[in-house]
Amino acid sequence: MSNIIFEGEHLWIGNLGRMAVVFSFITSILSAVSYYFAEKKPQETHWAKTAKLSFYVHTLAVLTIISALFFIIYKHYFEYHYAWQHSSRDLPVHFMISCFWEGQEGSFLLWIFWQMVIGWLILATAKTWTNPVMFVVMLSQIALTSMLLGVKIWGIKFGSTPFELLRNAMGNAPIFKQPDYLSKIKDGNGLNPLLQNYWMVIHPPTLFFGFATTVVPFAFAIAALMRKQFSEWIKPALPWALVSVMVLGTGIIMGGFWAYESLSFGGYWAWDPVENASLVPWLTLIAGLHLMLIYKATGNALQATFAFIILTFILVLYATFLTRSGVLGNSSVHSFTDLGMSGQLLLFVLMFVWIVPLVLEKKPLIFWINFGALILLVIGILLSEKLNINKWPLIVIGSLSVISNIYYLAKYIPSSKKDDEIYTREFWMFIGSLMLGISAFQIILTTSIPVFNKMFDLKLAPPTDVINHYNKWQMPLAIIIATLTAVAHVLKYKKNGADGIKKIITHFIISGVIAFVLFFAFKIENYVFISLLFAAVYAIIGNGSLLKPIFKGKVKLVGASVAHIGFGVLLVGVLVSSANKKVISINESGKVLNPEFDDKNNIENVYLEGGKPLKMSDYEITYVGDSQQWVNTFYQVNYKKLNKETGKVDYEFNLYPNAQINPKFGLVANPDTKHYLSHDVFTYVSSVPAEKKEAKFVNTKKHELAQGDTIYLSNAFCVLKSISSNVQKSNNVNQSEILIGAEIAIHTLDNVYNITPLYGIKDRQVASFDAYSEEIKTKFSFKEVNPETKKITIETSEKDNTGNFIIMKAIVFPWINLVWAGTIIMIIGFFLSILKRIQTKEINSKTI
Amino acid sequence: MKKSSIIIIVLIAIAIGAIISTTSDASSYENFSVAAENPGKEFHVVGTLNRQKEKYFDPKKDANYFSFYLIDEKGQEQKVVYHAPEPADFERSEKIVIIGKMETDHFEASKILLKCPSKYTDNQVKS
Repeated sequence: MSNIIFEGEHLWIGNLGRMAVVFSFITSILSAVSYYFAEKKPQETHWAKTAKLSFYVHTLAVLTIISALFFIIYKHYFEYHYAWQHSSRDLPVHFMISCFWEGQEGSFLLWIFWQMVIGWLILATAKTWTNPVMFVVMLSQIALTSMLLGVKIWGIKFGSTPFELLRNAMGNAPIFKQPDYLSKIKDGNGLNPLLQNYWMVIHPPTLFFGFATTVVPFAFAIAALMRKQFSEWIKPALPWALVSVMVLGTGIIMGGFWAYESLSFGGYWAWDPVENASLVPWLTLIAGLHLMLIYKATGNALQATFAFIILTFILVLYATFLTRSGVLGNSSVHSFTDLGMSGQLLLFVLMFVWIVPLVLEKKPLIFWINFGALILLVIGILLSEKLNINKWPLIVIGSLSVISNIYYLAKYIPSSKKDDEIYTREFWMFIGSLMLGISAFQIILTTSIPVFNKMFDLKLAPPTDVINHYNKWQMPLAIIIATLTAVAHVLKYKKNGADGIKKIITHFIISGVIAFVLFFAFKIENYVFISLLFAAVYAIIGNGSLLKPIFKGKVKLVGASVAHIGFGVLLVGVLVSSANKKVISINESGKVLNPEFDDKNNIENVYLEGGKPLKMSDYEITYVGDSQQWVNTFYQVNYKKLNKETGKVDYEFNLYPNAQINPKFGLVANPDTKHYLSHDVFTYVSSVPAEKKEAKFVNTKKHELAQGDTIYLSNAFCVLKSISSNVQKSNNVNQSEILIGAEIAIHTLDNVYNITPLYGIKDRQVASFDAYSEEIKTKFSFKEVNPETKKITIETSEKDNTGNFIIMKAIVFPWINLVWAGTIIMIIGFFLSILKRIQTKEINSKTI
Repeated sequence: MKKSSIIIIVLIAIAIGAIISTTSDASSYENFSVAAENPGKEFHVVGTLNRQKEKYFDPKKDANYFSFYLIDEKGQEQKVVYHAPEPADFERSEKIVIIGKMETDHFEASKILLKCPSKYTDNQVKS
């Protein structure tokens, strides 16, 4: 096989890419090692120079990898597996960008890119902390670039290259025995239709930027441990922690919005493992951020600060392991490729779990024992993929590594000497942070069920009622956290007078009144919901009272209050939109057929025949028809809102849920949503009829037309532009001696299409060649020519509409806009805080 | 006793609570015979579609009734009823995970997860 010379391949670009990957890997090692020695031996200045130089080369290498991969996708070089699998010729350029990160390798590349950018920002801002912080960042960069290596050492696979050739990836297929195989591969597999969405172009880069930023607070914490300077790192790390919280939060909610706009599960959050895996580090990071603030103001809670900041990064790595190793298997609706890298991904996590004991241990002997344990674990994990060895020693060493982390942090980092005062801001902030920690713990615990199955050979499955399982923990936690945001924020650090309590009581009373009114307005019955409503309103009122600096023009000072208010608004939105969410597509006719069946929850889809109106809740809905755009079929559904009393139509609107019958992915449905200020009407097709083989045509009409005349059809009007003998001949009309065409312009509501039915004569036989317009589902035939009147006869017939139906589901989400508004307010709050922290940092550095 | 000690004890208690709650709420992957022995309890059953037998879905009569026959990993076959439209791509599925409970004459599925060979790993070149 190796002696075949293949034609038409562009091997140079792949070789360039692979070389750049190797370069980026080697330079990250070089840079990390040099930064380490630059930190340990500051008198030897060449280390810092080498480190920087390697980082520059590393940057170049990363940019080369990205350009090479994009070039391959852009040029449709389907000899490369990545281009073939994730793209196709018909994709617009902005979706080509999404192809880039549809695959695992591309998304790692995105992460590598961001981490590289962060490296530059650190070089520009970190000052005296640059060397140790860059050391940690480059360590992480080593791990990430190793994921793209795609080499096998002793039968163990390291990384997966995005530059794999198709013929190597699929080795044995007979097509690859032919030298000209490439000319037979006409097109790639295409991008998953669910990702063909505007949000999929911007959501992954934002989320990965968020993931990438979590390394910075972590790196500062580790740098502090290396230098045994346990408090100086807080100030430079704080703006980074805020950036990370803001960007990661934005990325997560974009994912939610994408899910709501383009997935048909009907909601923005499904407690899917993938979503959970990105939410959990965000929660611990927010806890870590608050703990940093406590330490800065009071000197308390330093151990917890370290623990949460370190934990956050470890959780990001753990999330990467969960979502990419294939371990989730059946428990997630998202599909994952198992690239056979689970061992390597696990190593990535453990490498950073062991970093704390390794940098803190002073005695060489114990350091080497620690190091030995890590190596043992590494070898064990790599071998356990190959051989079926007993897992218990690995589990024991793994748990020891976690325990040793706690031990070292407790031993080296000074704990607060005095007992906490209850009547202070820091105490309640601390409790709130712990609550966030518990929230994160509960989520990651249930999400990790598949991991426990692997570890202990169990056959547990996720809870059948996932939402209820999470809600019963997360709702009470949300109630406590929302309450604490206001209680703690109204109190001052260290010492408080009696006015703090007074304020809290006043806010409680005001919130009670407002919540009481809202309770009637929203008709919420559940006690937990009522408590949550109260807590959320209280968070808004309590933090709202702290907005006074705005009126003095000091907008930057209210960041925290604004973020907390956003959180309160978000909670109200989540609460009302989910508690009062109503499936309106209830079809009662199913009951008649299956009398034994009375589970009302299940009848959530209605059958809609084309043109037949159906009454559904307060709406009368009609399936009007479908139309084609690019590869998607849009189903027009007309909604008429009926007045409850008079029964007359208040207003009406159209929704166009679409479906794509994709040769690779099957039927993929995208919902359409009508947004009102107070509610959304959400609709998607759950099933559509399969394409009919023989189309029937009905409603045939004859029209006599002169040039410029118009035909009026039910869904369009058509103008005869000209009659032309200069028409393009296709195969089946070749034989005619005389051939003329009627050039007709079809005007629909929003577009104009051209169509040319043909008329031919051969051997005194008349033949007309029909033209069919998919857009208006109408067939045009050129029937006669009348030379005297200069008129022609065109026959139109419409495609048969009976048997034309959709099955759809519709949900009304009240006040879902509060969810989006709340998050936007929250993000603005984070942004204001960042401005404030950057500014105080600058002032401080100037005064020093 | 210091307040921090109290906090740690409370935290540990809550953590244990979370662990208990996860284990008690967790479902498990089982086969039809186990599901039949525990009627009313919900399980995850993994299996393949029996393509020899008719699946039934007539949206005109009832858009929320779909039934088919599933063969579990032990080889046992069972009629499954799903009160929703037939999921898109059902035919192409390689493996099916159904979540639900056993009724007298059928398995009542509340959720169906399809594992399609196509999604990301379709390694067949069409020429």
